[in-house]
Amino acid sequence: MSGSTVGVQEQAEGHFVDLSRVTLLDSLGSEDQTWDKLAPRWCVTQPEPPWKVCLDATCDALSAGGALDSLERRHAEDELGETLYSEIPNPERQLVSLAHIMLSRGLMTEEELARHIRTVRARLEAV
Amino acid sequence: MANTHNHGDHDHSEDGGHDHAAAPMVDEISDFEVLELAVRELAIEKGLFTAEDHRAFSEWNDARSPAAGSRMVAKAWTDPAYKSRVFDDPLAASKEVGVDWSEPSGFGTTSDYMHLTVLEDTPEVHHVIVCTLCSCYPRPLLGHSPYWYRSPNYRRRLVRWPREVLAEFGLLLPPEVELRVEDSNAKSRFMVLPVRPAGTNGWTEEQLAEIVTRDTMIGIAMPKPGRTSDGPHPIHKASRPVHSGGRPTEASP
Repeated sequence: MSGSTVGVQEQAEGHFVDLSRVTLLDSLGSEDQTWDKLAPRWCVTQPEPPWKVCLDATCDALSAGGALDSLERRHAEDELGETLYSEIPNPERQLVSLAHIMLSRGLMTEEELARHIRTVRARLEAV
Repeated sequence: MANTHNHGDHDHSEDGGHDHAAAPMVDEISDFEVLELAVRELAIEKGLFTAEDHRAFSEWNDARSPAAGSRMVAKAWTDPAYKSRVFDDPLAASKEVGVDWSEPSGFGTTSDYMHLTVLEDTPEVHHVIVCTLCSCYPRPLLGHSPYWYRSPNYRRRLVRWPREVLAEFGLLLPPEVELRVEDSNAKSRFMVLPVRPAGTNGWTEEQLAEIVTRDTMIGIAMPKPGRTSDGPHPIHKASRPVHSGGRPTEASP
């Protein structure tokens, strides 16, 4: 985790969320990239982006595999959604919160995530 | 003008083109779309779950919607024997409308324990569901919970001031109607079976299912002829701090 700490990190318990800001996540997604802005811009009426189903599946798979319990994730989502990411609408808030929690728990590092973001974007934009 | 032929639900012109305009789509790649894919692929690379696990859960999630719950309610309204089964064995009754709570793993998901109670509304008693713990919800029958249902504000206030909160959703209950708030928990899921409204005599199950919307099965709205969709609802911020579980008292900011 990087950036200034606006909350408390307690590694000893390990079951609550680190409220330090994450530079990588803060740098993502200007406001006009959220689905509630994108969809009307492209005259799309679906209420949720196509990736929402995949996000929910990731949450289910993380819990089923024992990596991130659903209840712990939901508690952390609640806290992050009312603090660091309160200005981001859903489902983007749910997604950014999940990434934050996974970084906070050490399930991945910022460097790894940054690398994958670059790789994925390059792949999607290759045509 | 090109000849056309019918493919069931849409027409093709003989030259291979379509006579109708393609459905609009978002033709730009957002940071959030990239982030979702990056998180997923990184999790798979690290062995947190497999691609096959993710595919199974994606297909399961994609198939969920309130339509299954709507069918269950409509069938219960028209078939007294089925209605009895809804209360006696709701998981078996779910199967009769195409929902198997054991999917996709054989024992459901970790968020959908196989214990369901259907709450019967009457003219004298109205039910509404909540999960004060997190956002437990009968996903197999209703799909994913709306974000307002997940918000700490709704969860905290509904159990304290249920009539007032229902009024905010536009549901004004007469004082003589008893209101019961059912709080889901880690192992139990609830769904409301609303009262069949007047003016629906002779309707088919399909007609009835159209007015059984998600909100009527949560209990924040009543079904009525002509009401076939739920409007958007605001999400209010909690005025007091929200702490994730396990935070020791001395660590609270």
